[in-house]
Amino acid sequence: MLAGYSTVSSKAKIKGLEKIDRLFNTYANSSLGMIDPEGIEALCSDLGVDYTDVRILMLAWKLKAEKQGYFTQDEWQTGLKALGVDSLSKLKKALSDLEKEVEKPSNYEDFYTYAFRYCLTEEKQKSVDIESICELLNLVLGVQFRPQIDSLIEYLKVQNDYKVINSDQWINFLRFCKEISFPDLENYDATQAWPLILDNYVEWMREKHS
Amino acid sequence: MSNQKKKIFQIEAFKNRVVVDPKYAEKTWKILEHAIHEIYNHNASGLSFEELYRNAYNMVLHKFGEKLYSGLVTTMTAHLKEISKSIEAAQGDLFLEELNRKWNDHNKALQMIRDILMYMDRTYIPNTHKTPVHELGLSLWRDNIIHSGKIQSRLLSTLLELVHRERTGEVIDRGLMRNIVKMLMDLGSSVYQEDFEKPFLEVSAEFYRRESQKFIECYDCGDYLKKAEIRLNEEIERVTHYLDAKSEGKITHVVEKEMIANHMMRLVHMENSGLVNMLLNDKHGDLGRMYNLFRRVPNGLAMIRDVMTSHLRETGKQLVTDAERLKDPVEYVQRLLDEKEKYDGIISLAFSNDKTFQNALNSSFEYFINLNSRSPEFISLFVDDKLRKGLKGVSEEDVEIILDKVMMIFCYLQEKDVFEKYYKQHLAKRLLSGKTVSDDAERSLIVKLKTACGYQYTSKLEGMFTDMKTSQDTMQGFCSSHPELTDGPTLVVQVLTTGSWPTQPSITCHLPFEMSALCEKFRSYYLGIHTGRRLSWQTNMGTADIKAIFGKGQKHELNVSTYQMCILMLFNNADRLSYKEIEQVTAIPASDLKRCLQSMACVKGKNVLRKEPMSKDIGEDDSFFVNEKFASKFYKVKVGTVVAQKESEPEKQETRQRVEEDRKPQIEAAVVRIMKSRKVLDHNNIIAEVTKQLQSRFLANPTEIKKRIESLIEREFLERDNSDRKMYRYLA
Repeated sequence: MLAGYSTVSSKAKIKGLEKIDRLFNTYANSSLGMIDPEGIEALCSDLGVDYTDVRILMLAWKLKAEKQGYFTQDEWQTGLKALGVDSLSKLKKALSDLEKEVEKPSNYEDFYTYAFRYCLTEEKQKSVDIESICELLNLVLGVQFRPQIDSLIEYLKVQNDYKVINSDQWINFLRFCKEISFPDLENYDATQAWPLILDNYVEWMREKHS
Repeated sequence: MSNQKKKIFQIEAFKNRVVVDPKYAEKTWKILEHAIHEIYNHNASGLSFEELYRNAYNMVLHKFGEKLYSGLVTTMTAHLKEISKSIEAAQGDLFLEELNRKWNDHNKALQMIRDILMYMDRTYIPNTHKTPVHELGLSLWRDNIIHSGKIQSRLLSTLLELVHRERTGEVIDRGLMRNIVKMLMDLGSSVYQEDFEKPFLEVSAEFYRRESQKFIECYDCGDYLKKAEIRLNEEIERVTHYLDAKSEGKITHVVEKEMIANHMMRLVHMENSGLVNMLLNDKHGDLGRMYNLFRRVPNGLAMIRDVMTSHLRETGKQLVTDAERLKDPVEYVQRLLDEKEKYDGIISLAFSNDKTFQNALNSSFEYFINLNSRSPEFISLFVDDKLRKGLKGVSEEDVEIILDKVMMIFCYLQEKDVFEKYYKQHLAKRLLSGKTVSDDAERSLIVKLKTACGYQYTSKLEGMFTDMKTSQDTMQGFCSSHPELTDGPTLVVQVLTTGSWPTQPSITCHLPFEMSALCEKFRSYYLGIHTGRRLSWQTNMGTADIKAIFGKGQKHELNVSTYQMCILMLFNNADRLSYKEIEQVTAIPASDLKRCLQSMACVKGKNVLRKEPMSKDIGEDDSFFVNEKFASKFYKVKVGTVVAQKESEPEKQETRQRVEEDRKPQIEAAVVRIMKSRKVLDHNNIIAEVTKQLQSRFLANPTEIKKRIESLIEREFLERDNSDRKMYRYLA
């Protein structure tokens, strides 16, 4: 009896995996053996989301995708299994659930950090250029912290002390949004361990408003 | 008598009570009363002490102590009332004398009466807790005389009147005063205080209040203080002569309050005579007096110190920002030294070396010296001037004194690393041009710097001295191994260890053939001894002495820079050279070339060259000739300038930039050092520790420190703690 049961489940498993693989092959670049940017674009259009939509980034996070613009078969399999989907329609539905999952406090910081890492396309790259950072901030934090992000992006574009942003500065942007009252910035203390770029931003803000 | 009975004596108690004659007590008392009268009437000589004593003794013994005591009180009181009348009757000045006389009488009488009644004093009185005779006598005197309506106020006003008269310059009978005051003291401290001291202090306060008001209107500060001091001393003297010693503190307090404390502010700030004026004019006597008087009142010294500090800071600030003064660095520093000496003098002579004033002086100097960011450079230039010529002929001890004074000013600098940079540059120039007045003085200063800043600060400077010495030895070796070189040009080489000297790497220019051959010989000699080393000629730093003969046969010896020598030698083979030709052949960098040509063609007295056109500046199309008409009254003419000078704006910026660059690794090293030992530390503490560690070299900027920490985080020497964002963690 047990054997029969497991046979059924493993059959189901194999069947599920088959579907996942089939879905994979729909978008994968056969010579590379993985889904490339073109494939992702196609996937996006089939899912009905924009290529630049933050939900794709969330998907990448869920898949724990290593390289920006590519999904390997392993990543695809693990990720879709974790989502519990094996078809396009199920994936579409899962995307909105994914948003809620990311917003959970326990996941949010992880996702946020992942977003930065995802931009490190070159080997040994440690920082990301300002332009890309502005876009990423907008994408990742724009909805939840609209006024802060708009203001911060404006500053990042006009200042010229920093041409790139490193991971330490990146993680502190999130903390800044979460902890500092806006727009008065009253509880910001420059003598504390905030990165210098934020000290400069606050000074710029205060001058603007005086 | 035939029957003689033997009697045995038996002592038995009285079977019958002895009945004393009831009139016995009265009779005995009358005797004693009479005696008291006689004593008060100065007729004591006719009395028998023994008899009176016995009478008093018997009265007490026979239980008539009560009668005796009350009789004493009544009799004495009656006498005192008489005495009171006679004192009241005294006229004018005789009042006190009469009082004094009667007091003396009373004391004598009291003594005798006490002796007579001693048995009562020792038995009846303690048993009944009554006042002993002597004390009784004093209280009766107090109640009947001193506190009598007619005498009490008159006594007080007389005493106060006398004090007032003395204060206005009259001479009074101090002996009499002393006696009266002593009388009051004997009657009990409350009598002295209530009947004299309290009113005395009140009246004195009023007196000094009025007097100080008058004085402050008509005297200047110095004279007022003299007056106050006199009054203070007078009061102290008064107490010694005729008041209770305990009154000294109280009366001096009154004078201090009325004459000093109430007018402190006005005195200090008095125009043309107040504290600032005294400081400016070194009025040590007045300042000392002010110090001694003000230290007696609360916040007196604090007020002097505060005014001195703000004046000093203001003066200092003007000194360091005065545009005129800034033109001459040596003058600038000399003024600082003079100011320091002035205030050292004031503090030691007038303020008795008070440490709090010393501290105020130090903090003020530290404040304004650092207002001008060129102070480090100027101090180095001052030292340079002294070591090149200023200390010529000065004795060793005096040299030490001057250098110590400069060191004191040096210690006020916050940016000691900037000073080090300039000092190195100036020292290099002195050493290389051989223009130092005294080697001992140079070394002495290095030792002082080492003591103030540590070994690392001076190790490179010491290296420079060593190089000079070693070069001398090397030259000796070179010359002795190449005897053939005694004809032809003489070469003197100084080999400098890169890293110790503030040299900027430069491209070697093309030397004239005679020199380059010689230099090659030296190079091979040197590298033969020191294999593995690399030598590069610093043609931007050398000098040369050339003998020249001009058009009319004038012979001169020219002292020029190496660059200038290269240029001049060209004219041995050409009459006319264009700028471009010179540039090409010598390969001297353009800015240096222009400067050299300018000093040789455009400066009066040094114009060994002639230029066409005769404009002030060097143009790229100019042509040059030897100035055949060159004239100078000196045989030896110095053309080159390798003397230390105040930096120009762009040079200053460059030096400042280099200093900032040098500070970055120092800050990082400090951060790493601290984190390595502490492992985990919060932001504020790191800033504090780093600042403390670097204090002896420069004042670290918290923003700069933060930048360095971020850089270290990026390079993964440190990380932020995950849970507490304020903490940093050392990554091994």
